Amino acid sequence: MILVRLPSTLRVGASDTLTVNEPVTTVAALIDVLDRRIPGFREQLDDSVFNFAVNDEMLLYHARDRRLADGDTVEIIPTISGG
Amino acid sequence: MVLGAPHALSAPSPRHRYTDRMIRDRVARLVSALPQAPEYATQGATLFVDLERRQVQRGFTPMRVVRALLAGRGANMFYLHRLLDESLHPLHPDVPLIFGSGVLTGIVPSAARGNATSWSPESGVILDSNAGDYFPSFIRMNGIDHLVLYGCAAAWTLLHVHEGQVAFLDAAPYVGLDNIELRERIPQDFGGAWTRDLAMVNITRAGENLVLTSAIMAGPKACYARGGPGAKMGSLKLKAIVVQGQTRDFETAQPYKGYNRTIAQKLLDTSVVKHALKTTGTPFLYKPSRLLGAMGTKNNQETTWTDRLDADHITPYRPGMAGCFRCPVNCRPLNELNQDASDRYGRGDGPEYVTLGKFGPNIGVDRIESVIRLNNICNDLGLDTASTGSAIAWAMELFQRRVITRKETGGLELSWGAADVAERLLFMLSRRQGFGNVLADSTRAVEKGHYPREALNYRMAVKGLMQSDPHDARILKAFALGMAVATRGMDHLRNRVTLEINSRINDDPAFKARLYGGPVSAAPNSYEDKERAVRVCENVYGVGDAVGMCRFTTKLFNSPSLPGLEEFSNQIANVTGLELSAGQLDAIGLNITGVERLINARLGVGRADDTLPDRWFNEAIEVGAYKGEKIDRAEFDGMLTRFYEISNLDPNGVPVPEWRSELEAMLGP
Repeated sequence: MILVRLPSTLRVGASDTLTVNEPVTTVAALIDVLDRRIPGFREQLDDSVFNFAVNDEMLLYHARDRRLADGDTVEIIPTISGG
Repeated sequence: MVLGAPHALSAPSPRHRYTDRMIRDRVARLVSALPQAPEYATQGATLFVDLERRQVQRGFTPMRVVRALLAGRGANMFYLHRLLDESLHPLHPDVPLIFGSGVLTGIVPSAARGNATSWSPESGVILDSNAGDYFPSFIRMNGIDHLVLYGCAAAWTLLHVHEGQVAFLDAAPYVGLDNIELRERIPQDFGGAWTRDLAMVNITRAGENLVLTSAIMAGPKACYARGGPGAKMGSLKLKAIVVQGQTRDFETAQPYKGYNRTIAQKLLDTSVVKHALKTTGTPFLYKPSRLLGAMGTKNNQETTWTDRLDADHITPYRPGMAGCFRCPVNCRPLNELNQDASDRYGRGDGPEYVTLGKFGPNIGVDRIESVIRLNNICNDLGLDTASTGSAIAWAMELFQRRVITRKETGGLELSWGAADVAERLLFMLSRRQGFGNVLADSTRAVEKGHYPREALNYRMAVKGLMQSDPHDARILKAFALGMAVATRGMDHLRNRVTLEINSRINDDPAFKARLYGGPVSAAPNSYEDKERAVRVCENVYGVGDAVGMCRFTTKLFNSPSLPGLEEFSNQIANVTGLELSAGQLDAIGLNITGVERLINARLGVGRADDTLPDRWFNEAIEVGAYKGEKIDRAEFDGMLTRFYEISNLDPNGVPVPEWRSELEAMLGP
């Protein structure tokens, strides 16, 4: 099982968390599963503002290749800069 | 550098009258050579305001300068270069304070910005600070692009600008007022309403007291913050500039409103605006930084902090968002801690990410309510939250290490997380009372004899300026290079390659190469080709400041999709009639930093100053996926050398002779 946390702007329905029970081994595979469940999800994620964190580790590159294991938590986080 | 100049901090004696003023000779020579009519459609005048003699002269920035530097920050540097006498000291009244609005300020959506420029009393290098809100636009509505202020007024003065004319008024009734009260008084006394037909820049008691972290306030929160501009304005005995006038359309060279709609739509369609800026504002960045292990904590001794300060926790206290003149984004979060009208600091504007970081993790505070309250106090006291928060964090580390004790602090226990002590220190600092007088000297506390030399080992500053943002750049080498080479000191807003933290871009090497004009390593902690990305950002942001565009909505700072050089080129042509290609604008960006480096060279700045705090070279990050990361001196030096090479700089970091000659010919004698 993978727990997915979404930012408010990507929330699906009332929930900010999703549970994926299908076996997924990478972030890319996770996106495939989520896109099947939520039409247009992949398109929304194809956006430089969103980063992935796995178990609270921010992924700055090679994010979609990141291996996942049962019990992992994946968070989608908007990243910006500020003053 | 000149940071150790013995009289660098000396304030002008109130009894000292200057009779033979070199600044007047310089101004006279300059004005005699300036055009007396606009050089292009929408150009406003440059006003030279002698505060001591209460005289005003006018001219217009010459076309050769506009084509090389544009307006705003760019032309400000022309005026500073021509008028600066580096044999004086930053707070000398012959050193001018210059306000400048951009070519597109007040005309184009999200272009509401202007710069304040001088010689920084805090850093000792150039002072160049950018702000929005309404003043930069409203001054243009009065037909004024630049204000060059010099001379110490005989008594506290308020300048009143109306229908393009400047009146010198007695500011005695306003002396001693901080930001909230002054902004309540001015509409009562002058008429008009903020955001409709009234704007102001002003100092607070901190500026009056020459506090080196004092800002020039441009709104309830917006301010020219960095480098001590409040102290500079205070040294001229100028309390405020009040601008009145109806907003109006400009007579442009060609129709421009259609393309304005294109720009506005581009802004609103950009995901970072939709998903973050418009809804929450910049505090969004706190979470990525802390998860990365790059959140400056306890004066950068640590690099991660509590999730209790994540932006989500500000939401219950955010009743809405506000914005600058004609900006469709409205990224400024408002706050309301309570509904007790008697609590002056129960509501306000902000906090932005910088303030959240500087008054949260950097001083060990973990309650969001405390951070918001400290933010509101800083806005009232007119303080640069970056330098003020850093000065307090530096003192707290010195206290932790017993470099200073309660003896030096006047009995105050400078413990990490002591928000109540921090609050007290803010008021003491703004009045230079007790230990507040030490904090008020910011990075110069050692030079002023407040701290022993050992304290410099823990000062998080470059070129005499405290770090602007809370991001610890030991991981992201492009961030580190940017802060090392920034011409105003340790600041991320001059050249930050923010997109280095975006995996979607790092994982698309072809796209990334197109953004930066060549390949840049995907690895955030690599030194490879990072100089290229910093160079491109520095150019684009320099042009952004010269046209008046907000950094948050300029291409590359937050998104690859926001308006950049192409859009600026199109709208400059529409508004002014000047044909400047994107490539020519890129060269203008380089010119602006080139002139800044020429000025800094006159102030003693060289390669040794394009560096980073020792901590980042010597101490590794201890948490997260990048545990063990620090800055390698040899790798950094190589990256700096490559940066100089692609920036047309010699090995000491100043423009190479041929380019220097071109710049100096353009600038004039």
